[in-house]
Amino acid sequence: MISKSEKLLTITIGIDLGTQTIKVVILKDNLVLTREKAVSGFETSKVAKQVIDEALKKTKLSINDISHITATGAGVQMAPNPNSTISMMSADAKAGFYLFPKARTIIDVGAEEARAIKCDDNGIMVDFVVNERCAAGAGAFIEAMARAIEVKMEEMGPLSLKAERASSINATCVIFGESDVVSLIHKQESKPEIARAVFDAMADRISSMVHRLGVNPEVVLVGGVAKDVGFIASLKRKLGVDISIPDYPEYAGALGAALIAAKRAKRNK
Amino acid sequence: MKKQNTQKKYVPELSQKEIDELSNSIKTSSQKIVAETIKRMKESDKNRPKTMKYFDEMADLFGKREKEIIEAKKSGKKIIGYLCLFAPIELILAADAIPVRINSGWYDATKIGDRVVPVEVCPVIRSTIGAKMVSLSPFLENSDAIISVLTCDAMTKLGEILTDYTPIWQMTIPRIKDSDQALRLWIEEIKSIKKEIEKLTGNKITRKKLRRAIELTQKATKAFRRLQQLRKGNPVIMGRDAMLAIQTYIWDDVERWTKNTNKLCDELEKRVKNKDWSVPPDTPRVLITGTPMFWPDNWKVPSLVEEANPKGVILADEICSSERILNDPVGVDEWSMNDMLNAIGERYLMASTCACFSSTDGNEDRINWLITKIKDHKIDGVIYYVVRGCMLYAMEYTRVKKVLDQLNIPVYYLDTEYTREDVGQMKTRVEAFLEMLTARIDF
Repeated sequence: MISKSEKLLTITIGIDLGTQTIKVVILKDNLVLTREKAVSGFETSKVAKQVIDEALKKTKLSINDISHITATGAGVQMAPNPNSTISMMSADAKAGFYLFPKARTIIDVGAEEARAIKCDDNGIMVDFVVNERCAAGAGAFIEAMARAIEVKMEEMGPLSLKAERASSINATCVIFGESDVVSLIHKQESKPEIARAVFDAMADRISSMVHRLGVNPEVVLVGGVAKDVGFIASLKRKLGVDISIPDYPEYAGALGAALIAAKRAKRNK
Repeated sequence: MKKQNTQKKYVPELSQKEIDELSNSIKTSSQKIVAETIKRMKESDKNRPKTMKYFDEMADLFGKREKEIIEAKKSGKKIIGYLCLFAPIELILAADAIPVRINSGWYDATKIGDRVVPVEVCPVIRSTIGAKMVSLSPFLENSDAIISVLTCDAMTKLGEILTDYTPIWQMTIPRIKDSDQALRLWIEEIKSIKKEIEKLTGNKITRKKLRRAIELTQKATKAFRRLQQLRKGNPVIMGRDAMLAIQTYIWDDVERWTKNTNKLCDELEKRVKNKDWSVPPDTPRVLITGTPMFWPDNWKVPSLVEEANPKGVILADEICSSERILNDPVGVDEWSMNDMLNAIGERYLMASTCACFSSTDGNEDRINWLITKIKDHKIDGVIYYVVRGCMLYAMEYTRVKKVLDQLNIPVYYLDTEYTREDVGQMKTRVEAFLEMLTARIDF
């Protein structure tokens, strides 16, 4: 339980209902109290509620202590009774700028979506681009390609770093990317080279997307794929700039939503 | 006249049974969509102008206007369809014929068009082919001849494909407009289409009749400009309502449309006096540009913008299915036949901001219109709408974005297809854009 004086503080929840996982961040006066996630599965609403309950349990809070819940993500309409919603782009901008105050370009690569957001000096989003209806620039692509070369998805990154040279695939989509990988296998390319080719192809797509906004430093990478060392290395090569990655990059959307919830809670007071 | 024995150049033969089934199913689902769209348009503005009722009625493509056109045809009048805004409707009106634009907005008709052309082709074209194959559009079906202006690549071939069904009059539009020889060629095209119209209708286009027709469309432009003037201030009409009213011009009777648009303006002026706004005045003000959006099905972008959370309101557009129809009047100095034909030529060629032109200044005319509209209507952000396959507008985006960046006007490139399936994703993108505009206004 929390004391009376603490109750005056603003405690908010941000929930990000992604295509593969649901992430929750609880924020107290703009400081993260806890993070929690789970695979969305089939019953998204139910899982979302469980993740929130779990996070509350960890922080010994009850839902009544929360002043505002903001939901975001592809499954936003499945969020259990949020006070408000926000787009993924605004949430990313908010989180990116909060984590790195010099951030001007925020790239979010998730399971099935990738987007890039441009911020001004005040952290206000001024432009954004998204990849649509194609998972070639997103996490699902790594997963499919890992299957094709029979390695675990988590192994792809470290494996790719061992590549001695770059081969290429013209990944236009998961399906055709796979046949590209098959032809590399037939050429008897080694697994590290193929893994690197997969990340290079993804980074290629993402970097041309980012170039449409202009590559303005500081560049921040968030989303689940931001944990993949192979992808990070490829993206750095393609963009030719340093990339900042926060701890827990997959929680950026939820964090952004929680920050926006805090702002909205204060406005409503 | 059905050409029973002639070999078709493009389209496959469909059995009457298949035609009826397909056309009925599209018609039924489309009528549902229209009813739903209008219902939502009514809900979004509690005090929606009562005079919109007229345009709602005109929006039923299988309603009053279809009956009128069939009646007119029975009485011996000719119906002349057209595919691009370059068709000089004044000549059609002067020959006592009825002009109707026949570009299709039916989503499901694209699937039928896909039997003839590949899916990479612009959906407006695929849908128009599909609509013709199953005799869906009352306007297309009743057209005695169709004016096909060779604008973009897809339009150029569409005319050719439609020759399988209907007499097509092709007009070459010069791709460079700012040269003397271009205008000369175009005026020759106008003169030759005049002869075709006279031949089909049996009516001579006299000086007096043409003057009356030009005056008719001038009055329509005046009514349109009155409406636009009202859209420069606080939002007094939802963009969707204004866009629908404007679009009905392409199939309505010109004189009656003008009368009803003026009535709408009268009502809106009262709203202004009472400070009765459609949405709060600080709602982000949006302009739409890019590929045309045709009623009835392809109304998703205006609906998304004006039903989003946060909400936006469309105050202006720069598309050829809406404001571009009526931006400019035919400007005549002297009412001689020659002068009138020259004036029509200039109006249709020089004033057009279509992306089919190429110029060393980078379609400066379109850029200027955009800037003027952005300033006059105090636009906060621009949605650049493109359907897949619409190469020319897609390519011009970079140019437009560069200019708008300099003006510090956010622009968002929204690409889509003739489908309802991507509405969810589009909603996210539109809402993020509107959040961005709101944040800028707030800050």
